[in-house]
Amino acid sequence: MSDESALLREPWVDFDRQREAAKFGIWVFLGSETLFFGALLLTYTICRVEHPEAFAAAGRETNIWYGTINTAILLTSSLFMAMASQAAESGARLRRLVLGCLLITAMLGLAFVILKGFEYKEDIDKHLVPGASFALPQAGAQLFYGLYWLVTGVHAIHLSIGMVLVSRLFWMFYQRKLRIRENPELEVTALYWHLVDIVWIILYPLIYLPGRAS
Amino acid sequence: MTLRRATAAHLWRKNIVIWAALLALLLLSLGLAYVPMGRLTTAAGIIIAAVKSTLVLLLFMELVTSKSLVRLAAISGLVFVIAMFTLTLSDVLTR
Repeated sequence: MSDESALLREPWVDFDRQREAAKFGIWVFLGSETLFFGALLLTYTICRVEHPEAFAAAGRETNIWYGTINTAILLTSSLFMAMASQAAESGARLRRLVLGCLLITAMLGLAFVILKGFEYKEDIDKHLVPGASFALPQAGAQLFYGLYWLVTGVHAIHLSIGMVLVSRLFWMFYQRKLRIRENPELEVTALYWHLVDIVWIILYPLIYLPGRAS
Repeated sequence: MTLRRATAAHLWRKNIVIWAALLALLLLSLGLAYVPMGRLTTAAGIIIAAVKSTLVLLLFMELVTSKSLVRLAAISGLVFVIAMFTLTLSDVLTR
């Protein structure tokens, strides 16, 4: 499986065109993802404009260490994802580097989800789930936590899908069932992974940083 | 063998610099969040997040070297999000 025809799929007749189309396709999908998360962020913005004090009080209740460490974990995972993608693209024979970076990326994703689980446990213990026994007196704080559970939950689902995709690629490459060099599936998976990272980069100041200075 | 090492080392050097910048920006936004500057504190967090996202978009996602069709697709999502925010907030903020 050393030539490009092994990776060529219907309906393309040319491998370079297939790579271009895959990249274009995933960017269109990422554009729709941007709008999906954009709508949630707009909801957050309007609620925060209407309840600034409640959002500050609610933001203070989040655990900033879980948030910051998880952001660092995702940024690091993006480094390894970028390394895997660029090494495969470079044309040099960097099989072990690509395999290692993919494995570390998936492991960092898993570490994020596990930490998030501990954080969710703490949030539940602190009665930060909107409802009758909610911990904070301000009505707007319930809006903050409603959005918190929704947005971080949807993000965790995205990340889990990414972990499945990255692990699958690792396994296929490890078993030599797919060619690594210039593999469009790897390029597309990497772009998806980075977007999930960007969503978290934007969520970080909105969830964890409000109300720290007051 | 020399080529392989050179390529791998080159890739590490390039990407670790970007990663270090991202982590530095993360720590900066964490620190600034505790400085009481009113609305500027909120703005600082969001601006730093925007800078970090731009670094990832341009360098990790390679928009810097992408073809214009790909760049156009990447920008289109952002354009519509900006339209959505502008139209909605022009109502909410002027009530």
